[in-house]
Amino acid sequence: MESTPSTRPAPRASLVLTDVVKSFGGRTVADIPHLKLGRYGVEGLIGPNGAGKTTVTKLITGAHSLDRGTISYHGPSGVIDLSQLPSHRIARAGVVKSNQVIQDFETLTIRDSLLLAAARPRDERFWYLGRSRTSAELVNDIDGYLEYFRFENPDRHALSAGEKKLLDIIRCLLVKPKFLLLDEPTAGLPQWETDQVKELVRQLGAEGEISILIIEHDLELMWSVCDYVHFMADGKLLLQGTPDEVRSDPTVIEKYLGGGHVEG
Amino acid sequence: MIDAIVIGLIESAPIILAAVGFTLIYYLSGFINIAYAETLTVGAYVAVVFNTMLGWSFYASLFPVALLSGLFSVLTYLLVFRPAINRGVGPVEMIVLGVGLSFLLRHAVRVGFGVESYQIDLAGTSYLSVLGTGITSSQIVSLALVAMVAVGLYLLIYRTNQGGRIRALASNEPLALVSGIDPRKVAVLVWFLAGIVGGLAGAFTASFSFVDYEVGWDMILILIMIAIIGGIGSVRGAIIAGLAVGLVTAVVTLQTGSPIYAQVALLALFILTLRLKKTLPLKKILRLNLSGRSILKWGS
Amino acid sequence: MAYTIFAASSMVVYIALGTLLHLQFGRTGMVNFGVVGFVGIGMYGFGILVSRYELPVVVALVLATLITTLLAAILGWLILDLDGEAVLVATLAFATIVYYLTVTQKDLTGGVAGLGGIPYPIDVGLDSALALLVILIFVALLFLGYAHRLGRVPYGRLLASIKDNEPLARSLGKSTFREKLIFFSITSGMMGLVGALYASTNQFLVPRMLAAGLTFTVWIALTLGGRAKVLGAVVGVLISVALFDLVIEPFLPVPRWVGALMPDLQLMFYGLILVTVILFRPLGLLGGRQKAQRS
Repeated sequence: MESTPSTRPAPRASLVLTDVVKSFGGRTVADIPHLKLGRYGVEGLIGPNGAGKTTVTKLITGAHSLDRGTISYHGPSGVIDLSQLPSHRIARAGVVKSNQVIQDFETLTIRDSLLLAAARPRDERFWYLGRSRTSAELVNDIDGYLEYFRFENPDRHALSAGEKKLLDIIRCLLVKPKFLLLDEPTAGLPQWETDQVKELVRQLGAEGEISILIIEHDLELMWSVCDYVHFMADGKLLLQGTPDEVRSDPTVIEKYLGGGHVEG
Repeated sequence: MIDAIVIGLIESAPIILAAVGFTLIYYLSGFINIAYAETLTVGAYVAVVFNTMLGWSFYASLFPVALLSGLFSVLTYLLVFRPAINRGVGPVEMIVLGVGLSFLLRHAVRVGFGVESYQIDLAGTSYLSVLGTGITSSQIVSLALVAMVAVGLYLLIYRTNQGGRIRALASNEPLALVSGIDPRKVAVLVWFLAGIVGGLAGAFTASFSFVDYEVGWDMILILIMIAIIGGIGSVRGAIIAGLAVGLVTAVVTLQTGSPIYAQVALLALFILTLRLKKTLPLKKILRLNLSGRSILKWGS
Repeated sequence: MAYTIFAASSMVVYIALGTLLHLQFGRTGMVNFGVVGFVGIGMYGFGILVSRYELPVVVALVLATLITTLLAAILGWLILDLDGEAVLVATLAFATIVYYLTVTQKDLTGGVAGLGGIPYPIDVGLDSALALLVILIFVALLFLGYAHRLGRVPYGRLLASIKDNEPLARSLGKSTFREKLIFFSITSGMMGLVGALYASTNQFLVPRMLAAGLTFTVWIALTLGGRAKVLGAVVGVLISVALFDLVIEPFLPVPRWVGALMPDLQLMFYGLILVTVILFRPLGLLGGRQKAQRS
């Protein structure tokens, strides 16, 4: 029995990791000879804690520097070598990641935080003191997201961890990425929010304009949302395939699904 | 050139000592203590009082210097800095707090002692020539004492159990607390030691040159630079950085005849070292984001 | 009357500097402990250009500001991607160097003997000092107005994001280093402008004016009033400077021996107030009791 990945048109943006190695204090946390991400709409990256999943995403976005290897981004404007770019340029090129550990702007209100993400560089000049000239489309997006996630009164500061997590994701989306990396987007979220995120990811995948890579421990979510799954353990990429292929693979079961898997 | 190096060593001796004490506080309590300048001043003035006003020999006066400076330092900790830490005062406010305390104390000294300069009376000093440079016997003794204190402190921190507790608390507070280390006792000890060392540094400065109520304040900038260059919290680093700074300052000043080039050289060295550290991180540094958040607490 | 104008001018200068520091630190998180260095470059730059090179006042003002901006840009480029403490120390060292330069470069600055003959920007005879005060008030209001407006525009949000969480801002594509550099250069350049005007206020310059005390006074005022509040500098300066210079000293009768110690007692009181405010109201008098947020 062979299950094929769904036949959506392949999104434009993809990432290619070649000979990527990263060590911290003598310990190799990531060792990937070759990995191509973004061929399918929504891809998942799973593995036990410490497998190197977050490290790989941080290498992509420039939060960590590569010891060896290259990461190239194949986007609408051609091929870019991400390993040479500073982190803000990588984001500008269209590769954006949400944060696993909650990150926030404490002094900005919810609305201000989103306006910041959506702001046009032309407006962010020290001499420009007028109103933001963000496009109507983006303003609608902001209102849309606020409504979708039921943010009451966006002129206050984000309070709960869940709100901050959602804001993090929305900000990433407002930057209009071509490749979106979501690092444990539903961790710590209550059920309704988790379902909303799941639905949103599905929708984005269906629209076909963004490539998405999700890291999650919530496997139910992964099997239902992802078109393709990569499995990592001990810093290495061990297996790739459709959700059905991966969840039934004996190595995966042994290293992750069976005994060693702790988080839910 | 040799004489510049010798002079550099001699003049940097008290600075190194002060830098070590300053770094100790930074290491354990995690902030730049500008009021440490006043610990130096206290040490200098206690030495002056005992020596010139009560007639003690300089070396004898080092005992009350050590004791009183140590107590002074502990007092500033208990009355001002610990309450501030407990109230969650941020790193920048701690610096401004130190500035305020320093103003208060410095001008109290000025009210009490006026603006005159004082110097230690070193009776029975003989003049020697070492490597072609003229220095005094008391400078040699002071140098030896400074070296002894620095080495003693180093041994204490890195080779004793008490030192081990200090390092444990500084590098991994939760773990240290769980192991039963009492943070308050360790803190008081560290501030006491830092006070002793700072006071001695002030006293030695008074023996080398004239001091006034601003003696500590004049040194604080260099101390901060040394602490940061030396790696923010490594006693070893502070000693090495202190030596480097002292030598550079002395050599440049002597060769160019003006302290300004030494200042520029120092700033250049400071920026250079930090930029190098940025690209080649040699060890984990305690990183306090000064807009109010701790990124990495206790350098784990 | 002349004294009141001078005291008021000094106060306005401090308010202007405090507001600029509020923009640098309170809004963007840049720890500038070299305020007096930038003031000094503007001050002495202006003084030298008008008295030694006899340039017209307006030209000298513009040039002095530009020179300050350029030097701030160079310094900023070297240090603004380093940790906060490094910025603090480097700016402090920078100001110390500026101070030393005014002492040692006697040919240019007159050294400790001083630099005199600084004219007023607008020469209307006896009212020139008053005219200068009006200019200073205008400049201060400009900065205050800008700071106020900043809270409602995209640039203000950008600066806040840099202060709150720079890596997060970068992950959203913001060029944080470039923006910090530009803003630092311009606001420090404005400190130079204020310094140039302050030169006119004083009419005669000595290096002692560039000692670290000025930087700390501005920081203290800002801390007292509240660094994140637009009016923080105003409140802080009013309390710390005005309290002594305009109220206590002229009007409070004190015995002579206390009078001689006044400067020291003032600074001791200053230090005490500062310690008390930080311990009990760390966000400044405008900031309320709430502890500064830590993540």
